[in-house]
Amino acid sequence: MMDIFAGLGHGFSIAATPLNLLFCLVGAVCGTLIGVLPGLGPVATISLLLPATYALDPIGAIIMLAGIYYGAQYGGSTTAILVNIPGESTSVVTAIDGYKMAQQGRAGEALAIAAIGSFIAGCFGTVVIALLGPPLALMTQKFASPDYFSLMVLGLVSAVVLANGSAFRAVAMIFLGLLLGMVGMDINTGEARMTFGLIELSDGINFVALVMGLFGVAEVISNLENVSTRIVNHSKINSIWPSFKVLRGAWGAVTRGTLLGTLFGILPGGGATIASFSSYALEKRVSKTPERFGNGAIEGVAGPESANNAAAQTSFVPLLTMGIPTSATMALLVGALTLHGIAPGPTIISRQPDLFWGLIASMFLGNAMLVIINLPMIGIWVRLLNVPYRILYLVILVVCAIGVFSVNNSSFDIYMTVGFTALGYILRKLDAEPAPLLMGFVLGPMVEENFRRSLITSHGDPMVFLQRPISLTLLLLSAALLISIVMPSISKRRGEVFQE
Amino acid sequence: MKRLLVAALLMGTGLSATTASAQEWPTKPIKLVVPYAPGGYTDAVGRITARFLEKELGQTVIVDNRAGAGGIVGSDLVSKSPGDGYTLCVCSVGAISIAPVAQTTSYDPVKSFKPISVVSTIPQTVIVNPSLPINSMEDLVKYAKANPGKLTYGSSGAGGLMYFSVALFDARVGTKMTHVPFKGGSPATAAVVAGEVNLSFTNMTDALPQIEANTVRALAVTSATRSEFTPKLPTVAETVSPGYAVESWNGVMAPASTPDAIVEKVSAALKKMAADPEVKKNMAVAGASTVFTTPAEYTAQITKEVEQWRTLLKEISEKKT
Repeated sequence: MMDIFAGLGHGFSIAATPLNLLFCLVGAVCGTLIGVLPGLGPVATISLLLPATYALDPIGAIIMLAGIYYGAQYGGSTTAILVNIPGESTSVVTAIDGYKMAQQGRAGEALAIAAIGSFIAGCFGTVVIALLGPPLALMTQKFASPDYFSLMVLGLVSAVVLANGSAFRAVAMIFLGLLLGMVGMDINTGEARMTFGLIELSDGINFVALVMGLFGVAEVISNLENVSTRIVNHSKINSIWPSFKVLRGAWGAVTRGTLLGTLFGILPGGGATIASFSSYALEKRVSKTPERFGNGAIEGVAGPESANNAAAQTSFVPLLTMGIPTSATMALLVGALTLHGIAPGPTIISRQPDLFWGLIASMFLGNAMLVIINLPMIGIWVRLLNVPYRILYLVILVVCAIGVFSVNNSSFDIYMTVGFTALGYILRKLDAEPAPLLMGFVLGPMVEENFRRSLITSHGDPMVFLQRPISLTLLLLSAALLISIVMPSISKRRGEVFQE
Repeated sequence: MKRLLVAALLMGTGLSATTASAQEWPTKPIKLVVPYAPGGYTDAVGRITARFLEKELGQTVIVDNRAGAGGIVGSDLVSKSPGDGYTLCVCSVGAISIAPVAQTTSYDPVKSFKPISVVSTIPQTVIVNPSLPINSMEDLVKYAKANPGKLTYGSSGAGGLMYFSVALFDARVGTKMTHVPFKGGSPATAAVVAGEVNLSFTNMTDALPQIEANTVRALAVTSATRSEFTPKLPTVAETVSPGYAVESWNGVMAPASTPDAIVEKVSAALKKMAADPEVKKNMAVAGASTVFTTPAEYTAQITKEVEQWRTLLKEISEKKT
């Protein structure tokens, strides 16, 4: 315990030097900006800035790059709430209720809760890294393919809960997402699937192109078509600051979201996404008034936003303790460390204590900076909604196009966005929500990968999913959740039968 | 007739323009395509190369990351670019020597490019989970033969070098191990650490930190000679499979139509680069050894590798049927 305090003290002495504070601030500001701009994600930004960090001292460089990553999580909710464009998979669910709140003139409230929740979650996540990093990393080592498979199943089942309308449509959307996720190279055989011979598709469909089409551009089109919905936006903007009552209502959601995010964030591959989705599902489950969800429930913003920030923080655990990157962003940070002559590995804490503790201390400072930057900005963002839509939508389209292009420097992805816009528009007309589709798209490839890997390593024995305690628990949870979704509709139908 | 004359005239001026520009080359910024994402290993090699070429040629060299399909997207782009010396690539073994054999690519590894020089090489390391009673390559072969199909190895996917190197090993020493593909080399390495798979032939960059922390046991390197980073580790060739050599390389290539005069200029610059102590130091940080080959040697190397993988694939498919 004393070691940790000594370590943290040492860390602050490094992170609080004027130069490193500046790097931290630059990272936080950059992160907020790219988080706000739809499509531009931390991966594209960090890769753009990577060459510029060659000349810096490695600790300063990593403090800045990490700041961009968690800063983007703060900013990412902004466009999701204001214009229904989630910048990343982790803010997809934020858009559901956040955007409804904005339409009701409660954008300021939603943004403030998102920022406060993010701050609390970010700080808690950082404490967890400092206190429990190494033992938690050992825990992730206990997770093998069958456990991941069962976790993904749980994620898919909870995606059904996301739907406001019919569960049938939600399931259909999940399956459509699963199908879209199948596109690309099959790692087991090396064969291309459903790519129509296009090499651009061999890595699968670009997530940003899919999101920008389904959400962003499709939203713009339906807004242009329907004048009345967007009038609501600037009819009245009530208060910017949430009332005490709202804060109290969101408090439980923030706590639960933070815990979920901290836990799932440690797991490699989609941990943060599952955290935000399951936080939403959990809030809807525990709420006494689940019908408010999808119509501007504050818990639907507070929970997922806290979850994704806590997860963003704890996703550093595998990298910092084992040297194992768990996402594209983390892989970039490994690249950055390597270029600075530091090989990230299991020995990084003992060999590079300055880096480890300096980075952790900078996360506390960075989160504090972010909440200070973000809260006063809310007023500006909300006023942005007063910009005439005929100007605003052009800006949205241009920024979306730049964001999509920046991922792979590929114009093919822009064409894909156009295609998915058409799909998004049709889905809207059919009253089918795109959020479950995205969940299927993100989790589908991981479900398949882990399912097949489990069977290879068990030499074909399907019992492996039931023999492992973690996997069994997760499968039982999924089954219970599934029953709880199906039961009400069955009993309702039975009630109808009896009435007749 | 008139149209033909005009066409001939145009072609003539076009031709003279390219020869003149070949002598003056480079007069404008050069684009160096890296067919992988920024932050990765090849990106690091690409940036080191770009920085040196910029200094040596007196022109801006822009690194253009065109990731996708394990390097095929970027390599394909370069093969179709004009051969004016302003588009070069830092290509790598996967997309050049393996992909055209294992999948269909619209480029030919030898005919679509002018290989200029290999700039860096990096061996793979045979690593096993320490809980296994395997302490040497001889142990590995004995264990694998006693338990056919039982040992599992992680790879970066069915089309990658990590799979092909083990497949070649299996074919050579007569063992049979089970392939477990992952999405990339680093999760495959992590799976050896966690014990989810028994072993893998992992890139030196990924393997070295784990070897140093004793989370995995290293048995050998796959290159023809021992690695400067792990001088104590024997090669696979000197233990159980004489002649076995698999190595990951990165090299500068140009589109096939690039004039020889430009190729020679780049080759001369890369020769200087291989002797530069600063470059050597930076490459070592990325885990790579700095190398120079002539265009002829490089072409021969690719031809030989393509042949090796083609034979192996034929053997594998014959065994299956």
